[in-house]
Amino acid sequence: MSEIAIELQGLRKNFGFAEIIRGVDLSIEKGERHAIIGPNGAGKSTLFNLITGKFHVSGGTIKMHGDPVENLKPFEINRRGLSRSFQITNIFPKMTVFENIRCGLLWTMGYKYSFWTLVNRQAGLSERTDEILEQINMSDRRNELAGVLTYAEQRALEIGITIAGGADIIMLDEPTAGMSHSETENIVELIRGVTEDKTLVMVEHDMGVVFNLADRISVLVYGQIIASDTPENVRADVNVQEAYLGTAIDAEH
Amino acid sequence: MSVVKQDSAGSRIANPLITVSQFAPWFVVIVFLSLLPVIFTSGAALTIMNQMAITIIFALAYNMLLGQGGMLSFGHAVYMGLGGFFCVHLMNMIEYDGLWLPLPLLPFFGGLFGLVFALIIGTFSTRRAGTVFAMISLGVGELIAASSIIVVVFFGGEEGISGDRTMGPETFGLDFASQLEVYYLTAFWLVISALAMYLFSRTPVGRMANAVRDNEERAEFLGYSQRNVRFISFCASGFFAGIAGGIFAINFEILTEENLNLATSGSILLITFLGGVGFFVGPIIGAIVFTFLQTVLSLYTEIWQLYLGTLFLLTVMFFPFGLTGLIAMHMRPYQLGKISLLVKPYLRMAIPGIVCVLSFSSLLEIAFHAKHAAIGEEHMSLFGFGFNSYNILLWLVVLVLSIGSGWLCKRLAVGVREAWDEANFVEPRS
Repeated sequence: MSEIAIELQGLRKNFGFAEIIRGVDLSIEKGERHAIIGPNGAGKSTLFNLITGKFHVSGGTIKMHGDPVENLKPFEINRRGLSRSFQITNIFPKMTVFENIRCGLLWTMGYKYSFWTLVNRQAGLSERTDEILEQINMSDRRNELAGVLTYAEQRALEIGITIAGGADIIMLDEPTAGMSHSETENIVELIRGVTEDKTLVMVEHDMGVVFNLADRISVLVYGQIIASDTPENVRADVNVQEAYLGTAIDAEH
Repeated sequence: MSVVKQDSAGSRIANPLITVSQFAPWFVVIVFLSLLPVIFTSGAALTIMNQMAITIIFALAYNMLLGQGGMLSFGHAVYMGLGGFFCVHLMNMIEYDGLWLPLPLLPFFGGLFGLVFALIIGTFSTRRAGTVFAMISLGVGELIAASSIIVVVFFGGEEGISGDRTMGPETFGLDFASQLEVYYLTAFWLVISALAMYLFSRTPVGRMANAVRDNEERAEFLGYSQRNVRFISFCASGFFAGIAGGIFAINFEILTEENLNLATSGSILLITFLGGVGFFVGPIIGAIVFTFLQTVLSLYTEIWQLYLGTLFLLTVMFFPFGLTGLIAMHMRPYQLGKISLLVKPYLRMAIPGIVCVLSFSSLLEIAFHAKHAAIGEEHMSLFGFGFNSYNILLWLVVLVLSIGSGWLCKRLAVGVREAWDEANFVEPRS
């Protein structure tokens, strides 16, 4: 494995005088499951928002598959094959589960801004939507309004929307936040399944999930990466233990 | 699981352009529209029906923005008005310059003009939804309304411009001099436009308009530019508003500043909201009810706008999903087979309700008469009774009636609410 999916060089972001990301260098290989951890306020979500185009960068470069993508619009980055979920559930609450997934498919299946095709008549589209519903185990909720689903179901649906377009880089922002133990187990299995052969970047607080799922872990503290390595090495890293993990890891394992 | 799969597989195979069950309501509408002039033969009825049809198209076009796309426009009369003005100019060119254009095609050109204008305005107004869009629409609306007085060549100044629809080449032997012929032309465009707008909402961009309305951020991360999605909806809406303007031009043969101004933009917002923005048929119901009330009430009272305003307020406060939402609410008790539970409380509520509405409006009418009638003119009549509007005893009776019935309504509302909960109650599955 040598191909780089995402490469950050000297990435900086400040809001006014507040520097949130202070020079991040990070490269994530294709097909890798990469977790970003760090204490609250370290800038994990900001980093996410920079990569996905929600925020403008203040300095440095972001490369996706070797091409610079900094300061592109979210939809342009998405069209290059990167898809993300959100920390706070971000779905289309007034649409059915089926329609939610279908929205995630429309662009990549080539419908774009078409106003001369009727979505209900597109057999391939409905078929693919049902396949994804099957994949996230929500076929039986197909015709429910997304807004009435339980929290855990909405999170699963959001992962479904995120992967629907077939992006090869999937970024998940705290996918298990606020979930019970058994729900977390389910969602971890779901994530493992749907990100097969894809690059996964996730921010996560649950150390069990992180060490269970990730191939590599980066630790972000005060806007800088202090370690980026395999789970074993990160756990052993003295700097990491001092700065952040310490007791948390011992307690979990 | 297997059942679901079969279901979806079934619907996959049977996906014709439009199914029988989908076509049925449209067929009923077409038959209904064709029969209407047989039932209502008077000229006044035809005028009202034409007015309704125009308002329906306009309201549906407006709801492409408000209901489907989440864009609140305060200046949508501009697109209908400009389409209409353009059509009157075309009619005059037919008459004086020998332009060959059959009248039935005129609304299409009105639509194109509305579209061109929406293309121009949309490039900057659809950048953001919400307040920014609303403010730009208000500004553009005022701008165009103001320039209608200034640009006399196109808008004809204060008296507007007028034309004659009968001067074009005859189509199928029709010259559209009679109201009835115009009615069928209007109905034809009504069906075509409504169907086209319905189908638009089922296309990828129509679905994404809903997605952007609900969650623009999510839509962006699915590869769609929220701005482009809004822009396309906006242009489509401008096109259909222009068609409505073209039909208006054919019907009334005159357009003035009134067709562009804020009052017209405001009333279409009112109509759409009254009918219910969340439903495709909402604006249709809103347009029918509004036009009907407007025409009928204005025959009997000078303060009809007050009543329409009150109706609008009550709708917004108590039934935010509009009249259509009110009907749709009753689908659930109906499906549960408990709709009969509601009949009695509704009937019980009806009597004080009607008394309350009548006595309260009497109070307003008497007060209005006492205040505004010519000096010395103290006699008025209401609901067939004649009386002196300065009679204190009468005032008292009406006041007591309206307060009393209002109080009774409030008390009975508790029972209605209980019956409503009961009718919507689903036995928990064990």
